[in-house]
Amino acid sequence: MQNENKLVFQSPTFIQRIKSMLGVDFYRLFHTPLLYIFLGIAAIIPAMLIAMTGMPAPDGSVSEPLFTNVWQAVAANTPIYVVSNIGEYANMNMVFIFGGIMVSIFIGHDYKSGYVKQLFTTHSKKGDYMLSKTLSCAFAMAAMCVSYLFGAIIAGGLTGTDFSVNFGSLLAALFGKIIMSLGWASLYTFLNVIFRRYFGISILSCFFFGTGILIIGAAAIVGSSPILNVFLYGSSVFACLSGNFLTILNCIAVSLAWTVIYNLLGTHVLDKSDVY
Amino acid sequence: MNAIEIRNLCKNFGEKQAVVGLNMTVPVGSVYGFIGENGSGKSTTEKMICGLIRPSSGEIKLFGKDYQDDYVRAKIGVLIEAPGCFPNYSVWNNLMLQAANLSLKNPEEEIRKVLKTVRMEGSAGNKYKNCSLGMKQRIGIAMALLGEPKLLVLDEPINGLDADGMRIMREVIGNITKNYSTTVLISSHVLGELEKVATHYGIIRQGKMIMEMTAEELENSCRTFVAINTSNNDKAKALLLTNFSEVKEAENGQLRIYDAENPEAVVAFLYEKGILVNYLNTAKISLEEYYIDLMNQKGVR
Repeated sequence: MQNENKLVFQSPTFIQRIKSMLGVDFYRLFHTPLLYIFLGIAAIIPAMLIAMTGMPAPDGSVSEPLFTNVWQAVAANTPIYVVSNIGEYANMNMVFIFGGIMVSIFIGHDYKSGYVKQLFTTHSKKGDYMLSKTLSCAFAMAAMCVSYLFGAIIAGGLTGTDFSVNFGSLLAALFGKIIMSLGWASLYTFLNVIFRRYFGISILSCFFFGTGILIIGAAAIVGSSPILNVFLYGSSVFACLSGNFLTILNCIAVSLAWTVIYNLLGTHVLDKSDVY
Repeated sequence: MNAIEIRNLCKNFGEKQAVVGLNMTVPVGSVYGFIGENGSGKSTTEKMICGLIRPSSGEIKLFGKDYQDDYVRAKIGVLIEAPGCFPNYSVWNNLMLQAANLSLKNPEEEIRKVLKTVRMEGSAGNKYKNCSLGMKQRIGIAMALLGEPKLLVLDEPINGLDADGMRIMREVIGNITKNYSTTVLISSHVLGELEKVATHYGIIRQGKMIMEMTAEELENSCRTFVAINTSNNDKAKALLLTNFSEVKEAENGQLRIYDAENPEAVVAFLYEKGILVNYLNTAKISLEEYYIDLMNQKGVR
C-alpha cells in the first residue's frame, strides 16, 4: 500500500494547459490534409469566379462579367445585406461557409477518434477546449482568407481584370474579414459542441449559419440597418471596399464579443452534459 | 484514504436507470476487479469516475477530493473502451499528443518508459491504424500511464485478446502495480484473467453493487469441491448423484462433487460400488464459478 503522505497532486496552470492544447490542435491542423484541401478550395473559388464569368456561352453570347474589378471578388463595394444577385454575395464571405465545413470535420474527428475522451479524462477543462478549438480554427479560416486573396489576385492578373482600388479601404475590408474569422470559428465550435454526436447535423448547421441566411432574411424585413452589424454575417458584410478604420474596430468588437459569448455557452453545455 | 469512494451514485438515461444508488470503495494501491454482466452499469460507472458523463446524483471522491478537482484529474489515467488515438498518426505521435495535453516536462523520456512498460518499444513508429487489437489496447494503457497516474481506470482491456495477448496484458498490469504504485480499477468479463491480478473485487448487477470483497475474502468464500477421475465417469456420476446432491462434469472431463464432506468419503463410496478412482484432488471454485453461483443466488440466471 502506498503511503498516503506521498500523494501530492499538482495541476498545470491555465497558460500551460492552453499552450499544450493549442500545440496539439495546431499540430493536427498542419499534419492532416484537411487544412491544405480547404486552402486550395479557398484559392480556387475566386479564381473560378473571376475567370469563368464573362466567358462566352455555347451559343456565342457573352454574359455581363460578374466582376469588373478584382477586388469585388474580395468584398462588395458597399455593405449589401439584402442580396439581389450572386455577384453581390460571391466574395470572401464564402470562406466562412467553407470554413464551417472544415471546422465540423476537424472537431468531428475529435469525437470520431475518441480524442475528446482522452482529453476530458485528464485535467483539461471544457473552457480550454472551446478556446483552443476557436483559436486554431480561426487561424485556419484566416489562412483561407489569405489563400482566397491570392487566388483572386492571380486569376485577376491572368484574366487582365482591373485592379484599381482605394488601398486603405481594401486593407480595412481585408483586415475586417480576417478578424471576423475568430467570431465565425467560435460559432462553428459552439455548433459542433451542441451537435457533437451528429456529424451530419453539425455540418448542415454550420453551412446554414455560414450562409448568413438569417441576417439576409432579417435585412429583407428591416432593410440595410446598421444594427445588423452586431451580428457575425452583418459585420462580415460591413467589411467592404468602402470601409475605414471604424470598420476594423467594429469587426474586432463584434468578433470578440461573439467569441466570448459562444465560448461561454459552449463551455456551459460541455460542463452540464455528458461529454462522450 | 481510499483512491475511489462512491456513495449513492445514480445515473439515468431518460427513463432508464443505468446506475442505482451505487456504493463503492477502492483502497489506495489495490487492483480492483469490477465485475458485472453486459449492461450492468460498469462502463457507466467508470465513465462517471473519469468525468466523461455526469452523475444524476450521488458523490464520487477520488483520493478524498471531488472527482472534478483539477489536481486529482491530472493524476488519473484512463482506458475506456478503445484508446482515443488518431489512426493515421504513429504510436509515438499519438503518445506525444497525449503527453502535450498533460503538459509533461520530459515527454520523450516518459513515452519511452511507458512503451517499455507495455512492451511496445519496437512499435513506436507504426501507424496506429496498422496495429493489432492487442497492441492498440497496450497503446491505450501506455497513454493512460503517461504522467505517472495515481489511479488507472481500465475498461475491459483484455476483451477480444487472444491467449498470448491476455498473457502480455496480465504481465503489463503486473508491471504497472510493481513499478508505478498505481491503484488500478479494471473491469472485465474474462474473470479467469482478472482473478490473476485483482486484490479486491466489486460485483455490480443492474446498476447496484451487490458485493465488495478482498481477494482473501473471496478465497475464503469460495466453496471447496472434490475433483475425481474414474475408470467410468458416466457410471460414477450416476452413482454419485444418488448420494451427493451436486455433482457436475467439468470441461476437462473430471467429475466435481461440491457437497462432499471429505474426499475419502467419495473414494470409499465409489469403491463400494466397484469403481476405481484414478485421480483425486480438492480445490476451490474459480472466480467465474463463484460469480455464476452468486448470480444464480440472486436469481439472474
